[in-house]
Amino acid sequence: MATIRSHARVHRSADDVWKVVGDPTRIVDWFPGVTAVTVEGNIRTLTLAAGLPVFEEIVTLDHRMRRFQYRITGPLPVKYHLGTMDVIEDGEPGCLLMYSTEISPDPMAFVLDGVISEGIGNLARMLNEHTEDER
Amino acid sequence: MGRKILFITTDQMRYDAIGANGGTVARTPNIDSFAANGISYDRAQPQNVVCMPSRATMVTGQNVGTHGVWMNGVPLPVEAPSVAAVLRDAGYRTALIGKSHFEPLLDPFLRFEENRQGFAGTTVGHRGFDHMELATHGAAGFTHYSNWIRHNHPEAIGMFFQVLDGDLEVNDAPGGDTGAPQIKRNTVPRDWYHTDWVADRTISWLDGLANDDDWFCWMSFPDPHHPWDPPESELHRVDWRELDLPAGYPQNAAEREAIIDAKPRHWRLWYDGKLVSNYEAPAKWVPATLTADQIREVNALAHIENELIDEAIGRVLAAIDSKGWSDDLDIVFTTDHGEFQGDFGFLFKGPYHVDSLMRLPLIWRPAPSAGGGADATARVSQPVGLLDLAPTFCAIADVQPPEWMEGRPLPIDDADAQARGFERVTTEWDSRQPDGTEIHLRTIMRDNFVCTTYQPGTVHDGTEGELYDLVLDPLQQINLWDDPDRRALRDELLIDLAANFVEPRQFRHAEAPV
Repeated sequence: MATIRSHARVHRSADDVWKVVGDPTRIVDWFPGVTAVTVEGNIRTLTLAAGLPVFEEIVTLDHRMRRFQYRITGPLPVKYHLGTMDVIEDGEPGCLLMYSTEISPDPMAFVLDGVISEGIGNLARMLNEHTEDER
Repeated sequence: MGRKILFITTDQMRYDAIGANGGTVARTPNIDSFAANGISYDRAQPQNVVCMPSRATMVTGQNVGTHGVWMNGVPLPVEAPSVAAVLRDAGYRTALIGKSHFEPLLDPFLRFEENRQGFAGTTVGHRGFDHMELATHGAAGFTHYSNWIRHNHPEAIGMFFQVLDGDLEVNDAPGGDTGAPQIKRNTVPRDWYHTDWVADRTISWLDGLANDDDWFCWMSFPDPHHPWDPPESELHRVDWRELDLPAGYPQNAAEREAIIDAKPRHWRLWYDGKLVSNYEAPAKWVPATLTADQIREVNALAHIENELIDEAIGRVLAAIDSKGWSDDLDIVFTTDHGEFQGDFGFLFKGPYHVDSLMRLPLIWRPAPSAGGGADATARVSQPVGLLDLAPTFCAIADVQPPEWMEGRPLPIDDADAQARGFERVTTEWDSRQPDGTEIHLRTIMRDNFVCTTYQPGTVHDGTEGELYDLVLDPLQQINLWDDPDRRALRDELLIDLAANFVEPRQFRHAEAPV
């Protein structure tokens, strides 16, 4: 089991950031290589740039804690996965965006670590540069 | 009109693989002809013994510590300098056809340009190459070759060895007659195999050039890197049962293990299957189980792959000759790093700085119009590195090597090497695995000695090392690191290493295991 973590400071309120993070369909706006997303109940399906689907189960969508958790269920070769995004108030104005992953087999950690770091960077830039009202 | 440059690389080829360097099994007449008409380097070393760092050194002319690709999976930044861009700016047409591996191959999110181009089938290139058509060791992934197979011969996808297993680890599935890891009887027709595809695409690119174009073509064969799955139709070429075992393989297990035990402890840990510190070596494979017949079979398949490469090179040379370009053609032939192929009882590669992995074939056949030919042959014994390739290409093109290149144009003979101070070559290894394992090696080769020091990591405390006398012990079986009589020599080499080694400025993220 490998664990990885990425974080970014965002100069926006936690509520503003949660509007994006807490909407599972918005991943297409900031996660690299995701070209389409559908959410039906607690099943999220991503389509990657190469046409590959990624099936996910939404485990937690806690608006009070501002916590989103999901599992990759296929077809990536994942035996265990839990992804957790937390938006944490961190003074005014600003918050901490934390993305933690537990994954097996270990080599998948290499693949996800880089793409999640890039995604968190994209998300922080997007939020720092634009208010949600402008979108 | 200037000199045209054909840069030919293989992947994971040993120094002794070719006839020109004493190889007696694989027939490599085309490669041997380069040596018969040019300059052979008997002590050419990579700056790192895995693909991505070594290839980044080739294209930048820089040490690993400078270009920053310190481990497989760390991409070479898109903005990194490139000899191809230098040549293009000088008016050259530029292409890379075959294996590039400047960016990670395992890329399901298509984050990297090489994979995006391969998947889309576009060939616009980048990093200064006008044209890129990429391949790797099979039909999987997002290369142009895998794209071509998928669209034209989808039935061939399953013929190749499956490189990764269900755990996303490098597959140790046994095959062949002996059950050696990473062997498969591949029923793919020869003309669908990546070696011939690389030659075909090179010829196609050359066909699109104008007669007076200057050009630089990096023709990069993915073989003889594992898996060993050449077309089954070619297996008749070498019968593994008739092969001698490598000189570097002590057949007596006790003798073999005593040699390994005199080396730093990660050697024995890998041998016993307790530590795999290179992702590309199958995680579940235990080297101690390797049999003599498995070594013979792996070697036979590598020889077959090398023969196919030589014949593919022959086709490209014939195409060039038919255009009347041969007289102005410089050819540089080398590889990115070596392969154990049975030495010490190992296959594959890793943090093991011995000749199996570090001594490379390197031949430069200068253009006959520039003095190359049978009357101008040489063998250079002084050490050179792959970081000297990029400045050499600049010199051939009559371009001043940029200051960011850290190598120098290759010497044309030993006198030239001595006059220009080719005294040493350095090689490094850094790895950090997801389980936290860290290994760091720093190596210098000079004066016929190879000296490696280990920095503190999770396996070594920083006191370990290796010292070999290449004259008295060419197989590097006697570690002199702790020999009191060699302490002064060891200290002198370490001082020279410290003075000439470029330490990494930072360890950028690995974005994939490979």
